[in-house]
Amino acid sequence: MAEITAAVAASHAPGLTGWFSKASEEDQRTVRRAYDGIREVLVAARPDVVLVVGNDHVANARLHDYPDFTFGLAERHRGPDEWFKPWLRVPDYDLPGAPDVAGRLLEALGDTGRRLRGARDNLRFDDNLSVPATLTGLADLGVAVVPVLQNCTVPPIPDQDDCYAFGRALADAIRDDLPAGLRVALLGSGGLSHEPGGPRYLEIDEKFDRWWLDLLVEGDHDRVLAEATLARMEEAGSGGTAELLSWVVVMGAIGPRPCESLGYVAFDQWRCGVGAVCWDLGDAPATATTGTV
Amino acid sequence: MPLESFDPQLRANDFVQDLKWDEGLRARFVADEDAVLAGYDMTGAERAAIRERDFRALHDMGLHPYLLSQLARLVFGTGENAGSSTPATALLRSLLGDDYDRYVTSRG
Repeated sequence: MAEITAAVAASHAPGLTGWFSKASEEDQRTVRRAYDGIREVLVAARPDVVLVVGNDHVANARLHDYPDFTFGLAERHRGPDEWFKPWLRVPDYDLPGAPDVAGRLLEALGDTGRRLRGARDNLRFDDNLSVPATLTGLADLGVAVVPVLQNCTVPPIPDQDDCYAFGRALADAIRDDLPAGLRVALLGSGGLSHEPGGPRYLEIDEKFDRWWLDLLVEGDHDRVLAEATLARMEEAGSGGTAELLSWVVVMGAIGPRPCESLGYVAFDQWRCGVGAVCWDLGDAPATATTGTV
Repeated sequence: MPLESFDPQLRANDFVQDLKWDEGLRARFVADEDAVLAGYDMTGAERAAIRERDFRALHDMGLHPYLLSQLARLVFGTGENAGSSTPATALLRSLLGDDYDRYVTSRG
């Protein structure tokens, strides 16, 4: 019986590393504080493994044969992918993987109805893993990483209910199928509003973003699932905002818990609303059965 | 508009992925685009749209919006333009066509 000891979520965008300093000092400070906050939560939780759930950005499978979730089973996770290096401008990283953990979870989640895949070779990582790894200093925490790359943009897209249910199943698998005493952190990587490659490429829907963060802090997961639907995310920026489904996976895994917003910035040249949250798991480790949804 | 026209079977989707995944193909594409396009199994309309940077046409044929942004980056975002807004601007100009100037003015 392993435990979930931390649950956090944050945006990723190439601008956060590639052209971070184009934003005002104040906006830069807000983002730094938010990621420092994520790091503090991770450090305090002393995880053995961090599951990073994030949009695959159609980087690891053909679009006519596209899985819902891809588990990174590699011994090491190296990045960023060559193609993204000039854009991200982050130091190369080489994070320890946890093939046993990833493999057991993949097996345990086989009956969820989702299209799952495991990748023994190194996956192609872009900002999905590279940005949180860099901004939270994952590499020097020495913690093992299991990347879980997600389909947020290729129809049929698993919607908010599917992702919440997958999160619950993930928590069950962590509890029932991982070694006793193993400490697991969950990091949702993605969002907030943006529309890469669409007509609103240069726009951020700040109103949606603030509403989403308020909704999470309010903490009613029934309401989140009823109102912050995949369709609503698409309205707020198609093909990008739905990366918030990675946050929904985390929420499904921990059930309703107090949520704190760590900050928000809408800076147009990052072309993505940037925010982060952490959930308070309290004294008792989270399990999948605590939720009311 | 995004995703409404998306066609997972469109070969241009595979082509943009291959450009991203295969550094050699990318180098050949930059050196001799016509030869690479001629050698890749896709329709003449797809080849013409890529050659003409007609992102709107590619979108309407079914290229995934994210891959549109990646193609724009490949053809407009190298060298000094890396990390600049040049590829996004070129993409938007094509997507919005005659509405582009009005759109930019409205954003102030």
